[in-house]
Amino acid sequence: MRIEELRVGDELSYSGEFLIMRDAAQKRLKEMIEEGKKLPVSLDGAIIFYAGPAKPTEDSFGAIGPTTSNRMDLFLEMLFMKGVLATVGKGKRSKQAVSLCKEYGRVYFLAPSGAAAALAGRISDMTTLAFDDLGTEAIFKVQVKDFPLYVAIDSLGNDVFISE
Amino acid sequence: MISAKRIIGNLEEAISKANSEMDPKIVELLDLYDGPFSSVLRENAAMAKDSGLPICQDTGFLEFFVFQGNEVALEEPIIETLNSAVKNVYTDSPFRYSIVSDPLLNRKNTGDNTPVICHLFPIRGDELEIRFLVKGGGSENLSRLFMLNPSATVDELVHTVVESLRESAARGCPPLKVGIGIGGSSDKAMVLAKLALTRSFDEKHLDKDYAALEERILREVNDLKIGYQGLGTGITAYSVHIETYPTHIAIMPVGLAMDCYIARKGRVIFED
Repeated sequence: MRIEELRVGDELSYSGEFLIMRDAAQKRLKEMIEEGKKLPVSLDGAIIFYAGPAKPTEDSFGAIGPTTSNRMDLFLEMLFMKGVLATVGKGKRSKQAVSLCKEYGRVYFLAPSGAAAALAGRISDMTTLAFDDLGTEAIFKVQVKDFPLYVAIDSLGNDVFISE
Repeated sequence: MISAKRIIGNLEEAISKANSEMDPKIVELLDLYDGPFSSVLRENAAMAKDSGLPICQDTGFLEFFVFQGNEVALEEPIIETLNSAVKNVYTDSPFRYSIVSDPLLNRKNTGDNTPVICHLFPIRGDELEIRFLVKGGGSENLSRLFMLNPSATVDELVHTVVESLRESAARGCPPLKVGIGIGGSSDKAMVLAKLALTRSFDEKHLDKDYAALEERILREVNDLKIGYQGLGTGITAYSVHIETYPTHIAIMPVGLAMDCYIARKGRVIFED
């Protein structure tokens, strides 16, 4: 998959790795950067999935799905500066987020929202990488198989939510 | 006396079901949807029901609406019973703990999805009715309070609601169920908006003019064509429900609340 070849409206079935993090973990990463500390994870080349998994069961790593990306627009440039290739979440993002995707040549994917039981079956491995104390808001690494994605903002700055 | 054990038992069952089983009406409408992610959404509905996994990983916070008759005797303060029921369900099920103990200074997860939110409505009689919403954060963030001018017209109210949804609906996992509280005070209007969400999809306002207003707002919201997942295909809202209350001559509070496409709720009734 070449990020810059993707266009708004493209549907993909992705197999590979995501780094999962949401509001609290990104707020903490930002504070660490401001304090000049070394980050506990490398974001270079990562695809960030905005999510907070539920509890694992005997048969699965637990229900999982995207959370609202717009809340984390204020951390998006930090992620891109650290080498993040793409983000995955749900919902419309701010104009600033769209221009950042264009400026850095990055992509924003939607994952299906409210499909947590089905997505649980597409996770083949999950490990906690950092910030264990944050519970569901920690940073996780997951391997996914046949994970449905939809291009909502492409690297040219086209946005599916701006149609008029 | 209605025992805490009895209330907890019935609530546990209702809360588990709300998280794993979609309302039949939602399943029926989902079958008609053929836009992006339609197959995975249908697969999810079936899988959650069979496996007991939640439909959505955001298993929400619990908001209760307790109608307690004056002849009803309880073993303990009702909020303690509600907290026990939620703690039991969430610690026993593959549901997520989404509550932090302090909103600003120390957002530490409480580890059992409590405390709950509880609104009390005193009524006459020997009945205890408990309604609840399992409310996700995504749709909750779209809640709004508008303090309209007391001379505002129906058109202005409709415009205010529809414009708010035009801006926000795509972030709340549509199709949405929309609750509107009109009147009371600022806080009462918000509670009424939430209470409106405890109604079933086909439960219209008893006053025919308000029922017609519900229909009108639903039509205008669906004309926004925001669609499933915010991607423009299918309906934008299932239903609009209005609750009203008398208010002060100088104000017209309008509370707006919404549920995401799985509109999780429940209702249990006891007699003492």
